[in-house]
Amino acid sequence: MPKITFVCADGATREVIADLDQSIMEAALAAGVPGIVAECNGAAACATCHCYFESAYAAHTGEIGEHESEMLDFTASERTAESRLSCQVRVAAGMEGMTVRVPPTQ
Amino acid sequence: MTSAAPVISDITYHELLDDPYPIFRRVRDMASAVFVAPANLTLVTRFDDIVRIERDPVTYSSDNPASLVNKVMGPTFMRKDGAEHAAGRKAIEPSFRAGTIKEHWTPRFAEICERLIDSISESGEADLFTALAAPMASLSLMEMIGFKEMPWQTLALWSQSLIDGAGNYARNAEIERKAIEAGAGIDAAIEAVLDEHRAHANPSILSSMVHADPPMSIEEIRANIKVIIGGGLNEPRDAILTLTLGLLQNAAQRDSVLAKPELWSNAFEEAVRWISPIGMYPRRVTRETDLSGVVLPEGLQIGLCVGAANRDDRRFNDPDIFDISRPRQSHLAFGAGAHFCAGTWVSRQTVGKIVAPMLFERLRNLHLREDAPPLIRGWVFRGPVSLPVRWNA
Repeated sequence: MPKITFVCADGATREVIADLDQSIMEAALAAGVPGIVAECNGAAACATCHCYFESAYAAHTGEIGEHESEMLDFTASERTAESRLSCQVRVAAGMEGMTVRVPPTQ
Repeated sequence: MTSAAPVISDITYHELLDDPYPIFRRVRDMASAVFVAPANLTLVTRFDDIVRIERDPVTYSSDNPASLVNKVMGPTFMRKDGAEHAAGRKAIEPSFRAGTIKEHWTPRFAEICERLIDSISESGEADLFTALAAPMASLSLMEMIGFKEMPWQTLALWSQSLIDGAGNYARNAEIERKAIEAGAGIDAAIEAVLDEHRAHANPSILSSMVHADPPMSIEEIRANIKVIIGGGLNEPRDAILTLTLGLLQNAAQRDSVLAKPELWSNAFEEAVRWISPIGMYPRRVTRETDLSGVVLPEGLQIGLCVGAANRDDRRFNDPDIFDISRPRQSHLAFGAGAHFCAGTWVSRQTVGKIVAPMLFERLRNLHLREDAPPLIRGWVFRGPVSLPVRWNA
């Protein structure tokens, strides 16, 4: 169960011990991380669980799906090379120490 | 302390249709769930409760064997949970993607809108329900589904007949007959184009369905197209009218959005929060549970009143006011959870970026008529049923 640090837009941080059978979005919601709305609860339909993932962990966060990639064009905050929908990223053991930045708006 | 859902029985169904908001407020202040006798349903009206319910599909199921939707439309993914729902949803996804919306649907829908506005621009007055919103919603849905061209009234009638049939709890024979007739018309319209979609993949929903892996069965295609017709026409129509109404009633807000077009998206979100086109949808309680102090027994049908939650004063300040400058905050007009509206982004684009801006741009000095006020009705579905306006022709 890796320890993941969420960094909110105002700089506040929250450390979360994430279960392996969860998505990052689920882990964040369970821990009450502010700034992740997740209106569609993981259906990749609303683009309100947008987060920025460190590229150093790309091997663990996996590939962006075609649908997810198109949904990322709808995010309220700027899409960058680090952007993912956190509902589409599964928690992996290799994510120990990873930082996930929460955007200012969803 | 938990107790059974309290009851409200001193209101009429007509009061609910005319103006549900005072009743919603009363329910919200009374308890997390209240049996409202004229609706014959236990209603949930608080924002946080609805969000919690939509995050727990095991306790609160969309599947209901007794649902009239299933009877009228067949086995649709809107009334399924988990993997079955997800498979249907995934099958239609390609038609609703960002790139497809931008590159394929936007120019087509803009053309439809231009044609409709051309046809009325010189007359100087119209009821925007029949002159713009209803034909716009019908013609664009027709293209998105992949039907052959037909009069906009045909698809609109099918949609209304299915909606009426799905809400026909009184088992009125005439309503049932019309719903069956609409269903037969839709099946025939699908049949007429399905081979073509099989042979030539394209962005339409029917094409996505037949080219999905695995492809949808014909029974599922028929049922799901009916859900899309029942649920994809009123909503953009009503959102167009509500957004227009909100801006026409608030001149300063209209001026600010016309001066700063980037505010259109705020205006659209505020319109569907203020008068949510889908006001209520059902869920079924699968096991006895406690919802914020009220015991809900197994098997209970509940109505999630998102139209009420979007005016919950625990979440929104002055919730009854249309205010496009309120702080951006998520609302429930598109639902929440796995059944979050698949058409959300199409509607944001069509209503907020194409139709409403074009309407105000093309019809100068657009204004309401004092002698013919707008009429708004409904609680399960709510929106202006008449919006008479004038402009400088």
